[in-house]
Amino acid sequence: MTTPTPEEPRDERVPVTVLTGFLGSGKTTLLNRILTEQHGMRIAVIENEFGEVGVDDALVLDSEEEIFEMNNGCICCTVRGDLIRILGALMRRREKFDHILIETTGLADPAPVAQTFFMDDEIAAQLRLDAIVTLVDAAHVLQHLDEVKPEGVENEAVEQIAFADRIVLNKTDLVDESAIAEVTARIRAINSGVQIIPAQHAEIYLPQVLDVGAFDLERVLAEDPSFLTETEHQHDTTVTSVGIDLIGELDEERLNRWLGTLLRTKGVDIFRSKGILALAGAPKQYVFQGVHMLLVGEFGRDWRDGEERRNRLVFIGRDLDREALERGFADCLATAGAAA
Amino acid sequence: MNITAPDADLATAWDTAVDDAPVALSARHDLIAIAGAAGTIWILDAATGACIDTFELPGGALSVALAPDARHAAATGPTGYALWRREDGRTTVRDTGAWSSTAAWADNERVAIAAGRRALVLAPGGGELWATEPAASTVTDLAWLRQGRRLAVAAYGAVRCHERHTHKPVMTYPYIGSHLALAVAPTGRWICSGNQDASIHIWRTRDAGELTMSGYPEKVSRLAFDDTGFWLAADGAPDVTVWDFSGKGPAGTAPRSLRCHETITALAWRPGGGGHLASGGADGTVALWRATAGRPESRISPARILDGDTTVAALTWAGPELLVSAYRDGRIRAHRLPSRTTL
Repeated sequence: MTTPTPEEPRDERVPVTVLTGFLGSGKTTLLNRILTEQHGMRIAVIENEFGEVGVDDALVLDSEEEIFEMNNGCICCTVRGDLIRILGALMRRREKFDHILIETTGLADPAPVAQTFFMDDEIAAQLRLDAIVTLVDAAHVLQHLDEVKPEGVENEAVEQIAFADRIVLNKTDLVDESAIAEVTARIRAINSGVQIIPAQHAEIYLPQVLDVGAFDLERVLAEDPSFLTETEHQHDTTVTSVGIDLIGELDEERLNRWLGTLLRTKGVDIFRSKGILALAGAPKQYVFQGVHMLLVGEFGRDWRDGEERRNRLVFIGRDLDREALERGFADCLATAGAAA
Repeated sequence: MNITAPDADLATAWDTAVDDAPVALSARHDLIAIAGAAGTIWILDAATGACIDTFELPGGALSVALAPDARHAAATGPTGYALWRREDGRTTVRDTGAWSSTAAWADNERVAIAAGRRALVLAPGGGELWATEPAASTVTDLAWLRQGRRLAVAAYGAVRCHERHTHKPVMTYPYIGSHLALAVAPTGRWICSGNQDASIHIWRTRDAGELTMSGYPEKVSRLAFDDTGFWLAADGAPDVTVWDFSGKGPAGTAPRSLRCHETITALAWRPGGGGHLASGGADGTVALWRATAGRPESRISPARILDGDTTVAALTWAGPELLVSAYRDGRIRAHRLPSRTTL
C-alpha cells in the first residue's frame, strides 16, 4: 500500500462492502468471521437476510429490499430505497463507523445496490462503495449458473458473479480439483478479471475483501495484473467480459460520442465497465468506471516519460458484441480515419 | 460565505447540550422535544431550556413530534415508536421492528405514525384508531389535510390520501419515484413531495392537476410551506428555493434563491406568515431570511447569520420570537428575536 501524498487528501469516506451470494454460499459465516476477528474496527452491518448475525460490538440493522425506479424510466437509475434510508440514519448517529457491510439476499440484483452509491449525493459524500464481494458455493454454483430462467428473468447467480470485484470461492473442501477448475473457468468466462479467493468455511485473509478499493479510480490505476485477462470461450454463456488493449491516443470527442452512445443504448446489458485511457494531448491517464449507464471518470497519474500510450478497458455484460466493441473503440483513436 | 457579518446582537435565550447527536426537534406550546439518534428524547422547557423529562426509544430515533398542547409527544425510530405523557411521564414503547420515519399530530387527541409501509392513527395513549393499507414501500412522510380528517402518506410511487372509514386510499396522487418529504399547504390547495429524482412534484388537490419542478442538482428531502400556504421552501441545491404558490401557483414562475449554505440541513418558517425563514447548513451556520422579499428569480442574501461549529441537525421555532437550533455535537441553542415581527 502506498502512503498518500500530502497534496492528495485522504478519502475520509467510510468504506462499504457489499456481500452477495446465494443462500448457503457462506455469507453469514463470512460476516460472523469479519465481526468476530480482532481487527479493532467499528463495523455496522445492514442485513437483508434476517437475524442470523449477532455480535455485541457491531451495530446490526435489518432491512428489506426496496428497489426504487426514477420517473425517467431508466432502469439503470434504480436505487435501493431501504439502503438510502438506513445509511442516512447511520450517518446521523454520533458514533463513527470504520466500515459498513451490506449483506444482500441470495436473490438480490447487485446493480441497484451499487447505483445507490453513485445516484445519491448525500451518500456519495459520506460513504464510498469499496467492493462487491460475491460468495460462491463451489459445490453448487454450477447448478445455479445452469438454471434456465424464463424469458426476461435474470439469473441472479450470473449477475452476482458479473458484478463482483472479489469472488470468495467457498467450500472448496467439498469438491475435487477438477470441479474447482471447472467452476473457476465458468467464473472467468463471465468476469475475466475478477480475483478469485478459494476458501473453506469462508476462512480468508480479511484484507483480501475489506478496503480493497475496487471502485477507487486511483486503485484501478494500480495496474492490477488481473485487470485484463483474455477469456477463452469454452462455455456458451451470454454474460461475458470483453477486454480491449489498444496502443495509441484517443480523440476525446469521438470517445465521448462512442462511449455515450454505447452506454445509452447498451447500458442495460453492460453491468460493469472500467478502463485506463490515453487521451490525445492529455498528460495524465484518464480512468473511468461504470455500473450500467452510470459512469464516473477522472484524470489519474501522469504518463511517464517514454511510456507507451496504451488504452485498457473491460466491459462485463450480457450479449456483448466483442467485434463491434473493438471496432467502435478503435475508431476513437486519434489516428483513425475521420469520424464517421 | 458571509454575506453579512455574523450577528452578535441576537440574544441567546439559553444554551444547553444533550448527550447524543440530535436528529429532530419539535416545539409546541411551552415545550421543546429533542430526539437523539441513539433513541433518547429530551423534553425541555422552551422558556429556560431546562430539561423537564426524558424518555427512551430503544433502537434509535428518527423524529419527534409534540402534540399541539404539549401534553403528549410521539417519537419514531428505525425499529418502532414511543408515546410520552406529560402528566406522569409515562412512556408507551412499541418495538414493532418496522421503520417509523415520522409522526404527525392531527390535533391533541390523534397522532399519525408511520410504521413500515402503513400509517397508524393512534390515540395519545397508544390505542389504534385506524390504519392505512400498506403502501408500495416504507412510508417516508405524513401530513394531515381537511382539519385532520384526511391523512396524506408519502411512499414510493405516490402520495396516497386516507380517511378513517376505509383502508384503501380515498385519493391517490401517483408519480413514479421515491417521495422523500411531503408538504401540504395550510390552505389545503396543494400537495408537494420532494423527490429522490431531484425534483419537487406538485398536485393541486382540487383536480389532481400536476406539475414537476425538476432540475435540482440533488434530491429534495426537505420542503415546507409557510403559515399562509403561499410560499414553499425547499432544499435540493446549495440555494434554498422559495416558490410562490399564491394565485394560480408556481407554474411558469421562477423561485427566489437563498444563498448561504453549501449543504442545507434544516429549514423552518417562522410562525406568523411574515415570510421569514430560518435555514441551517452542514457548515454550522444558521441563516435568517426575508424569504419572500424581492422579485421571482432574485437571489436573496441572509438578513442574519448565526455561526456555529458543527452541522446544524435541526431547527424549530418556539413561537415567533424564539429560534431553537440543534447541532450535531449535541449543542442546543435558543435565540430570541428582537420582536414578534422583525428579524
